[in-house]
Amino acid sequence: MLELVQASTYAADIDRLILLIGVIVGVWFLLAEGIFFWLIWKFRAKPGEKTQYLDGTEKHIKKWITIPHALVLVCDVFILVGAVSVWYDVKQQLPDADSTIRVIGQQWAWTFQHPGADNELDTGDDIFTVGDLHVEVEKTYHFQLQSRDVLHSFSVPVFRLKQDAIPGRSITGWFTPTRTGEHDVQCSEICGIGHGVMAARIHIEDANTHAAWITRSTAATTP
Amino acid sequence: MMVRLPIFGKALLPLLMVATVACDATPPPVGMERGAELFETCAPCHGDAGVGKVDIAAPAIAGLPQWYVEDQLRGFQNEYRGDHADDLPGLRMRPMAVSLNREGDVESVAQYVASLEPVYPQSTLYGNAGAGASSYVVCVACHGEDGLGNKDLHAPPIVQLDDWYLLTQLRNFKSGARGARTDDVWGQTMRVNSLALTDEGMQDVIAYVQTLR
Repeated sequence: MLELVQASTYAADIDRLILLIGVIVGVWFLLAEGIFFWLIWKFRAKPGEKTQYLDGTEKHIKKWITIPHALVLVCDVFILVGAVSVWYDVKQQLPDADSTIRVIGQQWAWTFQHPGADNELDTGDDIFTVGDLHVEVEKTYHFQLQSRDVLHSFSVPVFRLKQDAIPGRSITGWFTPTRTGEHDVQCSEICGIGHGVMAARIHIEDANTHAAWITRSTAATTP
Repeated sequence: MMVRLPIFGKALLPLLMVATVACDATPPPVGMERGAELFETCAPCHGDAGVGKVDIAAPAIAGLPQWYVEDQLRGFQNEYRGDHADDLPGLRMRPMAVSLNREGDVESVAQYVASLEPVYPQSTLYGNAGAGASSYVVCVACHGEDGLGNKDLHAPPIVQLDDWYLLTQLRNFKSGARGARTDDVWGQTMRVNSLALTDEGMQDVIAYVQTLR
């Protein structure tokens, strides 16, 4: 049994969109393949029958193109409405943040800058980690995504989050974790020979565990 | 929330298992052959002959002792090297070391690196070797008068290392980017000795080390 964990507020929306696209495209794929094979069987070579040349301009033949074409366009409208709605929620709007973190990609590791107890980034108590991102469940985070060298892509599969990191730019995004746990963070943009092992972990913690981690880490971390 | 996909799961898992087994060719046994195979991953940065590439801060490693290469690879694997936000070359090296995950891989690649023709990289820094000689007195206890190192004290042969690499590491030790973790026993020793050095003093002592070749 494959279990796909959904751990952000928008993970289910993205999964629904993927399912919608999968079903629509899948139905058309099966239908088209079915018709192709049926036609191959129906018009197979028979003794005494010569092959006809069809130029496809007659109405009763052209309808095999025009009707599916119109139906596909209708399906596209469903996909577009779903995609634009999800895109707006995930990428175009920025809900108010409870906290802000900085995510820095470099060949071949992720560095995370967490605010310390003051919940302010770029202050003396910031906590820097390599390969481990700590967040609190049910809190909305803004992330500032940066790259120190080449293109990377910050990917958290359980959030269904993927965002390119571009050298010279700081890209802001957001997420709200919905369940505690420890999950993978990946780079999903080829970034060199170590791309495949550019992994990290995200630790989604309850309020007490997260507070304890901040207390424990503040003293131990140096920028 | 959990999404269950029983049909996909049942259909895909056997295929994935077959694909995994098909791709999982048995590697050569521990030793030089396996080490040469693994070194193909190192070559893009360290060069085919292990002479390093200064442009990407990859030091020369050819001919370094097997025990030292093993030490460093285990340091990266155990995250007391290459685990600091400011150590960019270390961050690049760590995942490569972590990928040596078969039993004997570390030993094999270290044996191969040790077998390469040793190099003594050209100087790239300017320092006062005379002033550095007096600072080097502290280093002698571990690295030896000739800078050839001491296996028992996990002290590398610094005469073989790039001067820019030595400077980077001294800076890392001083800033705590290296040698600050309690499980990095030998790194902690080195860190203590780096604290008193100014940046100029570091370059001086490195200039002296270059004269020991």
